[in-house]
Amino acid sequence: MPAASPSADVLRGTLDLLILKTLTLEPMHGWGISQRIEQMSKGVLDVNQGSLYPALQRLEQRGWIGSDWRTTTNNRRAKYYRLTATGRRALGDETASWRRYVSTVELILGTA
Amino acid sequence: MPVQRIVLRLRAALRRRTADRELDEEIRFHLEREQEKNVSRGMSDADAWRRAYVSFGGVQQVREAHREVRGVPWLTDLSGDGRVALRTLARRPALAVAAVITLALGIGANTAIFSAVDAAILRPLPFPAPDRLVMLGENNPEMNWHMESVAGANYLDWKEQVGAFQDIAAYTSGTGHLTLTGAGDPQLLTTEAVTGNFFAVLGGRARLGRVFTDDETWDTTHATVVLSDRAWRSHFGADPAVVGRTIHLDGRLTRVIGVMAPGFTFPSPTVDVWYTQGWDRASRTQVWFRRAHWLRAIARLEPGVSVDQANAQFQLVVRRLQQQYPATNRQMGAGMVPLHTYLVGDTRTALFVLLAASGLLLLIACANVGNLMLVHANGRAPEVALRLALGAGPWRLTRQVLTESLVLSSLGGAAGFALAWLGVRAIALLAPAHTLPDAGVHVDWSVLAYTLAITMACGVAFGIAPALWSARRDPGDAIKEGGRGPHEGHRMRRWGEALAIAEIALALMLSSGAGLLVRSLWRLAHVPPGFDPHGVLAVGLELPQARYDTTPKISAFDHALIARTRAINGVTDAAIVSHLPLTGTEWTSSFAIAGRPPGEFGSEVAHREVGPDYFRAMREPLLAGRTFNSTDRDGSQRVVLINDVVARRFFPGQNPIGQRLTFDKVPDSSSVWRTIVGVVGSEHQISLDAEPRIEIFSPQEQDPSGDIFLLVRTTGDPMSLVPQVRAVLHEIDPEQAIVEAQTLDDVVTTSMARARFLTTLLFVLAIVGLALAVVGVYGVMAQLAQRRTHEMGIRLALGASTGAVRWLIVRHALTMLVPGLAIGIGGALLTTQALRSVLYHVAPADPATFVVVPLALALSALVASWLPAAHASRADPAQALRVE
Repeated sequence: MPAASPSADVLRGTLDLLILKTLTLEPMHGWGISQRIEQMSKGVLDVNQGSLYPALQRLEQRGWIGSDWRTTTNNRRAKYYRLTATGRRALGDETASWRRYVSTVELILGTA
Repeated sequence: MPVQRIVLRLRAALRRRTADRELDEEIRFHLEREQEKNVSRGMSDADAWRRAYVSFGGVQQVREAHREVRGVPWLTDLSGDGRVALRTLARRPALAVAAVITLALGIGANTAIFSAVDAAILRPLPFPAPDRLVMLGENNPEMNWHMESVAGANYLDWKEQVGAFQDIAAYTSGTGHLTLTGAGDPQLLTTEAVTGNFFAVLGGRARLGRVFTDDETWDTTHATVVLSDRAWRSHFGADPAVVGRTIHLDGRLTRVIGVMAPGFTFPSPTVDVWYTQGWDRASRTQVWFRRAHWLRAIARLEPGVSVDQANAQFQLVVRRLQQQYPATNRQMGAGMVPLHTYLVGDTRTALFVLLAASGLLLLIACANVGNLMLVHANGRAPEVALRLALGAGPWRLTRQVLTESLVLSSLGGAAGFALAWLGVRAIALLAPAHTLPDAGVHVDWSVLAYTLAITMACGVAFGIAPALWSARRDPGDAIKEGGRGPHEGHRMRRWGEALAIAEIALALMLSSGAGLLVRSLWRLAHVPPGFDPHGVLAVGLELPQARYDTTPKISAFDHALIARTRAINGVTDAAIVSHLPLTGTEWTSSFAIAGRPPGEFGSEVAHREVGPDYFRAMREPLLAGRTFNSTDRDGSQRVVLINDVVARRFFPGQNPIGQRLTFDKVPDSSSVWRTIVGVVGSEHQISLDAEPRIEIFSPQEQDPSGDIFLLVRTTGDPMSLVPQVRAVLHEIDPEQAIVEAQTLDDVVTTSMARARFLTTLLFVLAIVGLALAVVGVYGVMAQLAQRRTHEMGIRLALGASTGAVRWLIVRHALTMLVPGLAIGIGGALLTTQALRSVLYHVAPADPATFVVVPLALALSALVASWLPAAHASRADPAQALRVE
């Protein structure tokens, strides 16, 4: 694990972004999302798995994702989350603003 | 409605359950999958499970966070906070009970008083556009008149000549009575004689039939009547066919033309029928029509005309009449007052005094709640500091504290409402007749909410906020010091003491006012009325003019009544008088004394007609000459008695016996002269607090009046005689009803009703205020004693006596008591000036009051501080040392 892990606040915004990104492929349940994020970030982002659920709830309340209970491939009930149209648009905006943020920070760090 | 709300609540609660259950299922699914993954990586089952848990983070925190996001965290937290608040308060029951009682008393008293003030003063009159109505009255500096009754001719001239008034209505000042016969027992109806436009001007509408027309002012008296809703129901069985029917009133045939709507009872809530003035058109040019003053006149202003503009026009007309009719109007001015102001009258002072007093009480309640909250917050400072240090958000803590206040104020508000409900009923019972409207007094919800909000805001502002604020300044320090940094602790103690000082000062101001009123009432109750009221029954009778139209007829009735009443077992004396003392009514007249310049005296004299034995029956002393006897008959020499005040004012150092006087201001050849045959003691005619006035008595036989009171003195209970008197009356005249029957003791008591009402309420408010202040002092001292238990333990261990240790605490109490009393006395000296007009023979700065009240307050406060001091000093030193 890298010496400096991102602070909680940055992480919260990031987590929303990562969830949205993850759900662009297909509807997934919570555990699946956590596995995918871990995979995508190659373990760099130390996401507390539990913090996923309040974030999912928040996104659902915003109308960016929807959810329903389905049966998994090995016949167990799980709550699946999917991206809504609003969520897809929001992902575009959030991605753009994240990029702007990152490049600004880069710029500052580069010039300093 | 409530059912619906309950369903909604339940559904929300169920939904919350569902959401929690779903989340739990999600988490379980997540953990199981994680465990499976870990097992597949070669961990043991147990390790895999533990590992899954660790990477998930705290399950409980996730649940909480989820709930917070999920929504209406306000509501869900509120119930949580509410439970915590109840637990917190339950841990300190004494404090919670004290706070609830304080809130209940402060809110209850204020709401009750304000509701009464609102009903009596603030609520508009039940007429359309009531602010456009003004009462007109005549002023005469020569006779010391202010807003007195109006002469008929003057009323008509105003009505025709003042353009700023849309119209003016008039009614006879004072109600009358008519006997309804022809349907069972004779029944007495309360009547009001009005002008034809009376209902139109006031905007009163008939529920059945019609009201009078303007033209019916003339030549119509007793021909037609309008019934009140009350009379329609009680005497006519609410029969809609009554309109158009002919009824017997005082033996005359009268047609009912209408029934008024229930809300219209002007000018008296007891009025049964209205009939018209029925003036003879010829009387307009007669002198008596401008000399006799018997009307109350109410004008409705033209739209767009201000009161000042109307008054300017009105004064022009009044001045013109002064020049036009010098014989009657030379000094006759007139004034106008908004009808509402006129009707509220004296009630205003009393209710405003009460309003101010309840305001003081509210301040005391606020300070008290503030103080209790401070004690409470202080007690939980360590907990607050700990929670802050552990990272609780300040908002979360504030919310917890606010919830506690909410719980307290809900309890206090509920108890306060119950008290206000009782208080309003008590006020309605205590209030003198007709000071509060018939519609009654109701608990005013907005006032209840308002006082509750104020008190709680004070509690938060003065109590909790400073405590929180000081705890938040430096959590580390706060924890080290057990929640009380030396500096903050000191500051908060000062705060509490300042609140206690304020409470003592306010309570002193309140109870000084009450003390003054109690002394004033005591003095009033000990004023000798000028007669002996004990054991006397007074029965009011009105002989209808239609049947008693000559002096012999009235005399015969009077003789028979007296003779038969005397024969009743237990009756020691019986007499007749034209009206009772202390009832606020009197007839007055100009007068002149033979051989003295006319108009010398200026003032008018009260006059009454009495039967021969009046003074004996009333146990009034004869000071000179003789009283009336059977020789003073109709046709014999006209004689009068004067009271002591007349003798002293007009015949100082002379013998008034044999002097003559007349009830004419300027005697002429038609004047009737009467010879003074005796001097009697003086009664208080108007009220106990008004000095006896000059008064002249004539024999009932020489000036017979059909409106009389029969006075019956007995050795037993006066009221028990009523059936026998009724029977006597029935024997003499079966068509004659009793107007009213009361004891003279009741008459005296009723005359003090207003003073007693004000005094009782203020006394109650003061006692409540005093109790709250003492509770406040107790709270501060208990806190202090607790804080100093450690120190006291050391002192006791070192050999200090218990007394010395207690003195420490009591001495501390004195540092609050002395400034509190000083400020309070200063404030009271200023505020009690406002009571001047309601005090009888007591100075606003009455020395006795200002000694007794502060002493009583000081004593109660010292007891309140002695109790915790005694408690603390009884503690085992070893135990005390272990505290903290």
